[in-house]
Amino acid sequence: MSALDFTPATQLELSRFVAENAQDGRRTLCPVGGRTALQYGYSAPAPGTYVSLGQLNKLVDYPARDMTITVEAGIRIDALQQALAVERQRLPIDIPQRERATLGGALATNTSGPRRFGHGTFRDYVIGISAVDAEGRLFKAGGRVVKNVAGYDICKLLVGSRGTLAIVTQVTLKLRPLPETSAQLWMTIDSFPAIEQRLERLLTSQARPAAIEVLNPAAAALIVRSARCELPVDAPVLCIGVEGSAREVDWQLETLTQELSTTGLQECRRVREHEADRIWEALTEFQTCADDPLTFEANLRPSQCMEFARRATQLGVAVQVHAGNGLVVGQLLEEAATIDKTTAVLNELRGLARVHGGNLVVLHCDAQWKSHLPMCGDPEPSWGLMKQLKQKLDPHGLLNPGRFVDGAMSL
Amino acid sequence: MTTALAESSPVHVRAQQLLARLRSIVGDESVLAEQAELLVYECDGYTVEKKCPDVVVFPTSTEQVQAIVQICNEFDVPFVPRGAGTSLAGGCLPIGGGVMIALTRMKRILEVNLRDRYAIVEPGLVNVHLTQHLKGSGYHYAPDPSSQGACTIGGNFATNSGGPHTLKYGVTVNHVLGAEVVLPDGSVIQLGGTVEDVPGFDLTGLFVGSEGTLGICTKVIVRLTRDPAAFRTMLGVFETVSDATRAISEIIGAGIVPAALEMMDQGIVSALEQAFQFGFPLDAGAVLLIEFDGLEVAVDEEAQRITALCSQSGAREVRQANTPKERQLLWKCRKQAFGAIGRLSPSYCTQDGVVPRTKLPEILEFITDCGQRHGLRIVNVFHAGDGNIHPILLFDERDAEQVQRVLLASDEILAKCIELGGSVTGEHGIGVEKISFMDKLFSPEDLAVMKSIRDCFNPTGHCSPGKMLPTSAGCGNEHLPKTKPGRRAAL
Repeated sequence: MSALDFTPATQLELSRFVAENAQDGRRTLCPVGGRTALQYGYSAPAPGTYVSLGQLNKLVDYPARDMTITVEAGIRIDALQQALAVERQRLPIDIPQRERATLGGALATNTSGPRRFGHGTFRDYVIGISAVDAEGRLFKAGGRVVKNVAGYDICKLLVGSRGTLAIVTQVTLKLRPLPETSAQLWMTIDSFPAIEQRLERLLTSQARPAAIEVLNPAAAALIVRSARCELPVDAPVLCIGVEGSAREVDWQLETLTQELSTTGLQECRRVREHEADRIWEALTEFQTCADDPLTFEANLRPSQCMEFARRATQLGVAVQVHAGNGLVVGQLLEEAATIDKTTAVLNELRGLARVHGGNLVVLHCDAQWKSHLPMCGDPEPSWGLMKQLKQKLDPHGLLNPGRFVDGAMSL
Repeated sequence: MTTALAESSPVHVRAQQLLARLRSIVGDESVLAEQAELLVYECDGYTVEKKCPDVVVFPTSTEQVQAIVQICNEFDVPFVPRGAGTSLAGGCLPIGGGVMIALTRMKRILEVNLRDRYAIVEPGLVNVHLTQHLKGSGYHYAPDPSSQGACTIGGNFATNSGGPHTLKYGVTVNHVLGAEVVLPDGSVIQLGGTVEDVPGFDLTGLFVGSEGTLGICTKVIVRLTRDPAAFRTMLGVFETVSDATRAISEIIGAGIVPAALEMMDQGIVSALEQAFQFGFPLDAGAVLLIEFDGLEVAVDEEAQRITALCSQSGAREVRQANTPKERQLLWKCRKQAFGAIGRLSPSYCTQDGVVPRTKLPEILEFITDCGQRHGLRIVNVFHAGDGNIHPILLFDERDAEQVQRVLLASDEILAKCIELGGSVTGEHGIGVEKISFMDKLFSPEDLAVMKSIRDCFNPTGHCSPGKMLPTSAGCGNEHLPKTKPGRRAAL
């Protein structure tokens, strides 16, 4: 593939390259950053050119006192976070493989993690964007100020568009202060219904958690192993993350312990400092456990998640639930590794998610399975409209064709 | 009857046919077509440009909105949605006349689901009614524009409204999960949903803030936000505006993100004091209204830090609102500041520029100079924490020469915002008012992409013509010459 790679040194060079390609040859273009999400997509990448943003990694402007930063899209997530940490700031989005993943890639896949409950997702932080469209036009939207309603918010449109509408070249982000410290409360609880009672209690908790995670024992075991921690994993786990000053964190741990110590509680541990950092990381990385044959994400109403987790557990799936947001990341374990069995499991779980308007998509699987599995879930009502938009902005289908809505069935 | 349907014969007949069809959808009592009745709808909070619609209809359901849009397409006339008409940028101006679709009768709260933290509401629901409805539940709807007592959620959706508490909680788009929309071709589509991360493009994010140019929302699914555990509201009193802006920079620089951080200068404070007798110091150069929230265990410590930072920046004193009543009065003063302007001047005009927070001293100095150069009095009350300025230019609209100076000064201030790396609108929208600034903010390429997007959803240009994009397609894009800046309602 490397002979067909193109690695522009400047945004202008990229713009020229794409414009020439649109005029002559019309090869399909697959924008890549750290290549951590090449498996994503409803179909395998079409043969064409990999456009690597790796050299577009400059820090353009960081007015720390404005709490914004403008960077090129190819910047590595760890490089970005390190630059921000110097000013005691951060982009509060959990992104796995941060030493490889780029901002552009994470944004294009709308990656998030446990702390989306407390802090939101990319759509809440991208305030300005520059991109090259399929014709090679370098365009921008938004700006560099935290509040701005001039023009269409194309930032939102490009977040999560998987490189199918334009190639993102530069991003301006809104930032948040780095908290002094963080910790988790790790509780093993008899059953999923007993966890649901606690989730309902949490709705009016005096604390303000940054993350509310539920793990079945299979997922908890994977996470504890990857975090090199000694924590109980022999029952479903409710893991609540808190952030703030040492005093706020202590107070919240204490308050949550009191609020949630009702029937069904087995063990309750407080995870702090370096151990807490490693748990955050393991919770973030779970979505990319590369050893397993398949990873899916289901989106459903928070109130439906425990029933979903209970059934998924019976079906032998390791599940991590972002319980405040209604998102479930599932890993099918080795035992389920035939196409037929996998299809049956996915169909049943998708059916559960669909009951209240949710869905289930495959994030990662063996490339050869893609044509056999229902990768993109059931059709959503607006897919037809999205296809029209894709057609309008990329009429020749040059940008990652078939890998997102244009590769999905419509209603 | 005006522009689109002049009273010459075949056209007039068609106009009567159109009216009859609209009446058959919504009933006689829900269609206004008499000149005297239409006058109310000739403008919104932006009063410089006026234009009556040919007809106003008041649908009560999605199906009716859909039928109205289909009829408009059949008759080839433009249509424009309208909520409470509090837009300050002419978002509801019916350019080219045509049919105005007033959504104020679609004001039901359809569902509140606290367990899953969402509510589904109709677009005509008044913003504050949702928050009132949720009172006591531990949850609220976070966006709180100052006009929240009148403005509608549908209007907030269309303009991506802000408000004082956006500093910490974000603007409308950060709180919208999905919507039901009638597209310009008359089809109905569901965007997003009651669940997060619906697979596909974030069309919800694109539609919020599209100023009615991509379709008409008929239901909005909003995220509900947990009430703050505790908050403190403080008033920092400063000798000069520049001391106050320095304090803002120090607070944000210290890693504190207040829930709201509002600045009022001496001019506005004196008007407020006359109106509300809060006890504001009349000789102070500026006051900061600072509200922050968090855990009860942390807010007092935070209050001390903020007080110290204000003092270091030269604050004369820092007061704290000690009772809910005091806090309420402080916010009343802030949110009704524009109502108090009448005490200063017969007419006024406000702008909605944004600059990076650290450029506040520069833009405020520029505004002072600009006022002096043009012989105008300008007062300031604004969302300082966001860098979102609202200079208020005072004048007498009976004096045409003064009016010209106000227009000139306004343009200079907005141009300076762009020069400082900011924008010409933080929360009011482009509408028709600031359309001439779009090509100063954006390149031809940027605008071409935006136009492609609009053309994809609104190919005939019939839906909200002449808004936001300078190259608007469609109907009778006639712009009255700017003769007088608006006398603004609320903000």
